[in-house]
Amino acid sequence: MNNRLKVLRAERDWSQADLAEQLGVSRQTVNALETGRYDPSLPLAFRIAKVFGHPIESIFSETGD
Amino acid sequence: MNKTVAKILIWSGVGCLVLFAAAFALGYYDGYREAHSPGSGQREVPAWLFLVLVSALMAGGIWVGAIWMRSIDEAAQEAHKWAWYWGGSIGMAVGAVIGLMAILPQAAEATLPTLWPDRADPAAYVATGGALMALVMFAGYLVAWAVWWWKRR
Repeated sequence: MNNRLKVLRAERDWSQADLAEQLGVSRQTVNALETGRYDPSLPLAFRIAKVFGHPIESIFSETGD
Repeated sequence: MNKTVAKILIWSGVGCLVLFAAAFALGYYDGYREAHSPGSGQREVPAWLFLVLVSALMAGGIWVGAIWMRSIDEAAQEAHKWAWYWGGSIGMAVGAVIGLMAILPQAAEATLPTLWPDRADPAAYVATGGALMALVMFAGYLVAWAVWWWKRR
């Protein structure tokens, strides 16, 4: 799965640690999410969408899209 | 300090204190008995008491582990679940190879080391086998856990 986490985070000038704190996860987890090597659960995806104020489908997309 | 980590540390400390107190009481009981009937030769720890102590230790370990597991995020949980399945299973397979060697008739003649240098009874072999199996499973777990995070660095 692809995602725009890194771009959205950069737009807000947040560090990985800042985002991790808002999501209630570790910095390592944010890194794994950003690199696309870990797909979040639905509850975490909803938290991510809420933090960025975007719908889930605008943040995550299927690989190859 | 993270609230959950503090909780884990406090309960681990309480558990250690309880175990220390239990070990002290056990030693005191043994000394008292020896003082009142010296040389009786009955210096073994009562099996029921040891059973209670180790059961409490294991239950406490599971409890602290559950608190800790609930405190980590979903990726960290996933890493542990993956490590538990793959690392633990591969470690168990390695241990099973050694265990299955016992099927060979010539294994009956083998004198193997146990956890205790002066014991070579069936219970000592069972405990040694169990400890070895736990060791290889834990080694597999550690490697698999490290691999999971390495692939997602």
